[in-house]
Amino acid sequence: MLSRTANGLFWMSRYVERMENIARLLDAGSRMEALPSPPGTKATEWASILIASGCQTTFPEPLENATQANVSAHLVFDPENPSSIKQCLSSARENARAMRTAVTREVWDAINQSWTEMKRMEPRGTLGRGFPEFLEWVKARGALVRGSIDATLLRDEGYAFIQLGKRIERADATARLLDVKYHVLLPKTQDVGGGLDYLQWLQVLRAANAAVAYRHLYRRTVDAEGVVDLLVCNLKSPRSLMSSVLSIAEELHDIGAYTDAQNTVAIQAERLCDHVARAEVDAIISYGLHEWLTDFIISINALAQDIGRVYGFDGGDVQALAQQTQ
Amino acid sequence: MFNEMLKGGDVRPEYRIIADWVEREGIEALLSKREEAESLFRRIGITFAVYGEGGDPDRLIPFDMVPRVFGASEWDMIERGSIQRADALNAFLRDIYGPREIVKAGIVPLPMIEGNDAYEPVVEGYTPPRGIYSHVVGVDLVRVSESEMYVLEDNCRTPSGVSYVLQNREVMSRLFPELFSDSVIRPVDGYGDMLAEAMQSVAPPMCEGEPTLALLTPGHYNSAYFEHSFLADQMGIELVEGPDLFVVDDRVYMRTTHGPERVDVIYRRIDDSFLDPQVFRPDSLLGVPGIIGAMKAGGVTIVNAPGAGVADDKAIYTYVPEMIRFYLGEEPVLSNVPTWRCSETDDLKYVLEHLHELVVKEVHGSGGYGMLVGPASTKAEIEAYAARLKADPDGFIAQPTLALSAAPILSEEGLAPRHVDLRPFVISGKTTRLIPSGLTRVALREGSLVVNSSQGGGVKDTWVLSEGGSDA
Repeated sequence: MLSRTANGLFWMSRYVERMENIARLLDAGSRMEALPSPPGTKATEWASILIASGCQTTFPEPLENATQANVSAHLVFDPENPSSIKQCLSSARENARAMRTAVTREVWDAINQSWTEMKRMEPRGTLGRGFPEFLEWVKARGALVRGSIDATLLRDEGYAFIQLGKRIERADATARLLDVKYHVLLPKTQDVGGGLDYLQWLQVLRAANAAVAYRHLYRRTVDAEGVVDLLVCNLKSPRSLMSSVLSIAEELHDIGAYTDAQNTVAIQAERLCDHVARAEVDAIISYGLHEWLTDFIISINALAQDIGRVYGFDGGDVQALAQQTQ
Repeated sequence: MFNEMLKGGDVRPEYRIIADWVEREGIEALLSKREEAESLFRRIGITFAVYGEGGDPDRLIPFDMVPRVFGASEWDMIERGSIQRADALNAFLRDIYGPREIVKAGIVPLPMIEGNDAYEPVVEGYTPPRGIYSHVVGVDLVRVSESEMYVLEDNCRTPSGVSYVLQNREVMSRLFPELFSDSVIRPVDGYGDMLAEAMQSVAPPMCEGEPTLALLTPGHYNSAYFEHSFLADQMGIELVEGPDLFVVDDRVYMRTTHGPERVDVIYRRIDDSFLDPQVFRPDSLLGVPGIIGAMKAGGVTIVNAPGAGVADDKAIYTYVPEMIRFYLGEEPVLSNVPTWRCSETDDLKYVLEHLHELVVKEVHGSGGYGMLVGPASTKAEIEAYAARLKADPDGFIAQPTLALSAAPILSEEGLAPRHVDLRPFVISGKTTRLIPSGLTRVALREGSLVVNSSQGGGVKDTWVLSEGGSDA
């Protein structure tokens, strides 16, 4: 497959996943804001949502001024923010349009129609009373795109790059979502493990669509250990880091390594997989969850960059390769 | 004016099928189907960016739902005439980049060729596989009476619009499947296979085994990008951009995730001047450095070959009937529109005196830009144009204002006649052939003669009835 096509599919898929993850974060933010906060304490949910989205650098105001209104506007409509839902959809569509021959009409329709509807939305109504409904719409569109990919695309290399993009984006997002808890300051009067702590973890689970799954799997009250186990280690969760890195290693294996550099990246993915597989919840927490997640985010993004480099996404060293294959 | 549907108040036999359909459905119901058609086109993503108009780059080209119909014998003439024309144009290209017999015979003056902007000296002495330079020729036709069709111009470079032919049919058959159930209307879906076969048949000498095909596009910001991706899909070949390709030792490769892969035949949809920055525009980022060298060395075949545009120039156009006689020894099946060459003193004098009744075109222009439609212009416009004409007579030709035929469109008041033209697409490879249809463009404004989509024209599905179809 053309390197440019692989690149386009990879990013199309990343942007669709990112759009949905931003919606999940906003959902988590809204839920946390609704939690009781003791008088005199300053709410920090929205700053933490911003940090978790990775958009604090594009946010036009100081972080402490973050409110539901300005964070939502920045994460949904802001054209200056490449990760805003609208920009994600636009980028996904541009990539799909440029790769039109590599996706089926169903996939194109799902993305193109989402974009057409998004374009018609007015910020005022969307971010106001209709906000929860809008977030549901985003998740539903994400599901539609994924569903049409699943139901209509050939299981070929293009599909593998789509899965890679999705899994890398999702691993990054889950790690950031877990990290939200670190950034939301607990009021001094409340202890870790107290009532508010519990409620905050519950909202993280809900944002990951995992609250019910948690009850079925753990049959105990929501706590840090359980949430970390579910969203980091548990292969049964489709959003856990473990299931994402395993899938990344498998997709790379299926795509195949045709050069030494590609081989090196496949090994790099397997190592990351090993690293997560061996991590135990207690060890992660005693190492510091925030620190552990930060390391992970750095590793997954380095891997994504290396994948792009060795499969010729930047057009780089392919010419030299041709000389060798002569 | 020739009305393709009605003859003295009666429906012509070819249009019986249309008249029955409209009566069955009713105008109201058809009008309400228009929205459905529009949403189908939007979903397909078929859009047409209009140059120089700004605004929505994803604007839809208007689609009129009433098909245009040709009977079997009408089509026979169009088919024979278009094939004859494409064969003659390729013979001409083979000749002028080679022995130049037609110049020696005194038929076409040498300056017409060498002085032509589209002439590419770099192609001299290169003979492509099977001697074909223009593998896809679009022949623009207008009809003026029951039996007369004129060729308005030829398109030998990278004629576009065939995706509309296929998509218009697709939309019609989704909206009105019953129309196509009794196989009176000849199908059009063989285009992709036909083009792919032609490309395979012109594999370059250095190709080993099955040739690998690719379609070269300027990218998804190009107004015809939809068509490029659509055609690549129809043929099942890679859609590549310049940076995807590179040349090593006169062989062309694509950059793939598995490393470099050979490409043998390239259907390019970028202009000559952008093809190879080593030979043409050095600032081109769309092209492939070294591809012309590879072509001349026999490492790759470029479809259509660079330099093919010299055959479709409006000044060369006037010589095509002569070419047909000279190369094929046949009489032209389709006539040229009578044309005054402003480069000739007598013709120029006549043109200047009759501007108000003529259509004047720039020799190198296209897309309906820079032309004067005398009868539809104000006195001031005519005077301004006359000044341009006098300043550069060689740059213009003139033709009478033709009474273009009209086909029915769907309007709020029912069916209404509007002027139409036709572009069939002739494919040359092992054989020269075309699908039984073409692009019908229609001037949607009442009385307008300009059918270009950049100037508010629309498109229609174009039917060719099978033998006996019009009697059914």
